[in-house]
Amino acid sequence: MELSLTEAQTAFRDDVRAFLDENLPADIKETQTSGGHLSKEQHQRWHKILGDKGWSTPLWPKEYGGTGWSPVEYAIFDEECYRMGAPRVLPFSVSMLGPVLINFGNDEQRDRFLPGIRSGEDWWAQGFSEPGAGSDLASLKTTAVRDGDHYIVNGQKTWTTLGQHGDWIFCLVRTDPGAAKPQTGISFILIDMRDPGVEVRPIITLDGSHEVNEVWFTDVRVPVENLVGQENMGWTYAKFLLQNERIGIAGIGQSKQQLVSLKRLASAEKKNGKPLMEDGSFRSKLSEVEIELRALDLTNKRMLVETERGMDPGPVSSMLKIRGSEVAQRLYELKMDASGLYALPFQPEAGEPGWNDELAGTLAQARSAPHYLNTRKISIFGGSNEIQRGIISKMMLGF
Amino acid sequence: MNFDYSEEQKMLVQSLERTLAKSYDFETYRAQLETKSSHDPALWASLAELGIMAMPLPESVGGFDGNHTDIALISTELGRRLVPEPYVSNVVVSAFILNATRGESAAEELGGIAAGETRFATAFYEPGERHNPLANNTKASKSTDGWSINGHKAVVLGADTAGHFIVSADADGSSLFLVPADAAGLTVRKYQLLDGRGAADLIFDNVTVEENALLGDAGTAEAIILEAVDRGAAALVADSLGAIEEVIDLTKEYLRTRTQFGRPIGTFQVLAHRMVDLLVDYEQVKSMSMEASVEATNENASDRMKAISAAKAKVGAASRKFGKDSIQMHGGIGMTDEYALGAYVKRLLVNETLFGDTDYHLERYSSL
Repeated sequence: MELSLTEAQTAFRDDVRAFLDENLPADIKETQTSGGHLSKEQHQRWHKILGDKGWSTPLWPKEYGGTGWSPVEYAIFDEECYRMGAPRVLPFSVSMLGPVLINFGNDEQRDRFLPGIRSGEDWWAQGFSEPGAGSDLASLKTTAVRDGDHYIVNGQKTWTTLGQHGDWIFCLVRTDPGAAKPQTGISFILIDMRDPGVEVRPIITLDGSHEVNEVWFTDVRVPVENLVGQENMGWTYAKFLLQNERIGIAGIGQSKQQLVSLKRLASAEKKNGKPLMEDGSFRSKLSEVEIELRALDLTNKRMLVETERGMDPGPVSSMLKIRGSEVAQRLYELKMDASGLYALPFQPEAGEPGWNDELAGTLAQARSAPHYLNTRKISIFGGSNEIQRGIISKMMLGF
Repeated sequence: MNFDYSEEQKMLVQSLERTLAKSYDFETYRAQLETKSSHDPALWASLAELGIMAMPLPESVGGFDGNHTDIALISTELGRRLVPEPYVSNVVVSAFILNATRGESAAEELGGIAAGETRFATAFYEPGERHNPLANNTKASKSTDGWSINGHKAVVLGADTAGHFIVSADADGSSLFLVPADAAGLTVRKYQLLDGRGAADLIFDNVTVEENALLGDAGTAEAIILEAVDRGAAALVADSLGAIEEVIDLTKEYLRTRTQFGRPIGTFQVLAHRMVDLLVDYEQVKSMSMEASVEATNENASDRMKAISAAKAKVGAASRKFGKDSIQMHGGIGMTDEYALGAYVKRLLVNETLFGDTDYHLERYSSL
């Protein structure tokens, strides 16, 4: 057994570091490390830089633009990005849609859409959840009715992350309302969000931010060539898509970055005349989460290696998601607690472009409570932790 | 032993409940947040008319000579309705200090509070001192025409709408000063807290006040400050109780009416048991809130501090759990600004943190 990086892996890490050092724009690094909201332009600029290097879609098969990295190399890349303050490319196009098109789409669709995903030029949103279909996703009601060469789409999607920037949205829609099981009447289609009948409405969350949206469809005409795979097989593709998320799902890189920033904040904060970092009770809380993260880091890497050898990815991604979300939430919580009284002034726009008010406390303190509140979502979205436990229970316990 | 409220107290709660039900629903609250002010004069006047400002004050200044259980009952209703008005900072903490330091000679100020006409805010905490109410980096020095104050007070609850501040400062020991909000050299940086209540940072740059601005004797304020903090803490614990009751109602209703997989989600055991744990916690919170309301005025300081710290720590930890679990049980809808749950979660966070957070009170409890 050898748990440290091999010589080749160390060299790979140094390459990644050198690339990031040279190519990461200062403004993007600043927004990312201070916990601000990246603009659409910043997201796309960074995506394009990675795309030009050939690193925007590392996990894809090589013939479609993948890098051929091993899972461990990918994990190294992920961590280095966070360590250097580089944002991660959004998952919707690269990690979710891309693999579905590669596995189940046709050549025309791959030729048409994969280049825009690699470069980041096309902004993709995800249209799965609906007001009545959250954990029970298969009960979704948005319909697509065939009309000649088009589907006519009607319905509403919700929790659409950054849908306000969207050019395209991949959706699960009901094409066979009479199917014996709800899962068997669902199709996977691609909708141009600039088409008539598509309306995006913001949802403001309790932290005061606008990340998620409702997307409404009223008689939207979608060409049949935008159907992915076969009609009524969408559920299969969606399950593939969600399981495919496992690499990176534990959020190790991000949590390591948060741990660093928590320590920085706690070093600046004083308690009884000494840095909070030197306070015994704070230190034991910090150590507790640090150890959990250390274990998760190793578990993540061990499981990535094992899934490569054919272990069922289902329970793995669920386990990593559960524990990864808990660790991340705990880190944000400690950051808020460490901020003391200055966690309380509500300044959700602090530090964002155009914000000119005077700051109460430091920027890190001002953002601590909104971040704590915002990250309640990570044990809810992408299949809540309750749903993940159900998946593990079914697969490992048989009930 | 009995845990009952008097008939008068029940009537007070009922009239407050009725007034707020009529004039302050969640949409009104949201509209008030939009105005970026924690204070609505019309609402404040209607609350004053009910007598809730006068309740804890002495009869001699137009008050009703109420006790801290009255304050707790009022605070619970204000928490239940998310009212951001500066009740605790003004009527509970500031009024106590004015009465304790000046008694009869503060009749004018106390009368103003009782009538809802004047507002005070009390400033103890300082940047870099976390939850230490006895922070003494703010200095007051004797000058020819009175006192000159220099320093910085952090996150002063109610300071956004107060006309006067009661400020702790070091003048050969801990001392309290009455400072008008418009004093020269005083910068008031106002903002709203997570839940819409108001506060401010106060920056004193050679602020000069008259000799008689000193409240009580110089260097003797520590005991009064600690008592004021405990009264404020007890009121916030009661405020949290009201917020928690609403969180429970919202979550129970959601578990009952939200269906997924063809059945109400509350029928899934994992959610039902999680809710049950919260109900058990609620009973613990309620007991501690009751004890805090009685002990807040205990003349034995050590017994008082022990009871208040126990309540603040217990209710703080429970509040955190209520916030996390209620959002998780709701799923995405619990994250939205339009739905009341998030506002209660934020109210609880603010209550947890002011007048000593959970860690502060745990440590204080274990040191007593």
